[in-house]
Amino acid sequence: MASRQELSDFLAGVERRAFKQAQYAVRDSDAALDIVQDAMMKLSEKYSDRPASELPLLFTRILQNATYDFFRRQKVRSTWVTLFSALSPGHEDDNSDPLETLEAMAGSPAAESAQDQVERSQVVAIIEEEVARLPTRQREAFLMRYWEDMDVAETAAVMGCSEGSVKTHCSRATHALARALKARGIQL
Amino acid sequence: MNEKEFGYRIRQALNEAAAGLDYKTTYRLEQARAAALARHRGPAASPAWNPALQTAGSADGGSRLGWFGSFGLAAPIVALIVGFIGIYQWQQQQLPERMSDLAAMDFAVLMDETPIGAYADKGFGIVLRGETEDL
Repeated sequence: MASRQELSDFLAGVERRAFKQAQYAVRDSDAALDIVQDAMMKLSEKYSDRPASELPLLFTRILQNATYDFFRRQKVRSTWVTLFSALSPGHEDDNSDPLETLEAMAGSPAAESAQDQVERSQVVAIIEEEVARLPTRQREAFLMRYWEDMDVAETAAVMGCSEGSVKTHCSRATHALARALKARGIQL
Repeated sequence: MNEKEFGYRIRQALNEAAAGLDYKTTYRLEQARAAALARHRGPAASPAWNPALQTAGSADGGSRLGWFGSFGLAAPIVALIVGFIGIYQWQQQQLPERMSDLAAMDFAVLMDETPIGAYADKGFGIVLRGETEDL
């Protein structure tokens, strides 16, 4: 059974990645925070009797289900919202484009190190954008394998598919990402 | 560059992005973590049996005990209902016997087996009324 301290350490170590993964999926920071909070609560409430070694897989699965639940709720809500869509404010999805910030700062007399920092953050932001654009299953498989350090079998167990499918998703995600980044002038 | 190496470089970029989260987001994550830990059921917080604090179906462990608790409450009520049904059935079984007794007396009267003078006798009337009331 995972102790309170073990659970706390685990959540502290995983919360930022979980938030980012949820954000890539739903493309909304507030919704992503809600999803992560739901997942944390479910893990703590329902699976605190499980050993600490099982927490990573369980949490990944819970987070995935919480994200799917969000989309289900959104689908139901959208049937009502579409009736009033003309009255709703404009979407804010594209307001966080890092390129805009970069262009604004390019003209400023910034030090060279600061410019490097900005360029790096620009690259990171573009990578994040492209990761978020991947098809859901490909993104899930890729992030679990290369960000969460899960092996193929664990990823397959969480995704509920075969190991062959995981390899296929990962391969497709890698190729799609490489192609997209190359098109935007980023060579890793 | 192979898939693993590419994945590793993407991972570095994503780690950097996660490390650079703004204060508002990290604060909310901390709050979420604290709220989740508040719901953690540690070993000390789960007594084996504590009926006074029992709430039916409140949690996974408690739901089984809660079911037993509900059953304990429902058992006397069920027994009472079964008792009522038994009494009703017994009365229903007794009813034809009473009816047949009354019918036999009426039959006897109608068949004129009782001497006509008996009806004029006060005592017979009293006995007859008494028997009827008893029945």
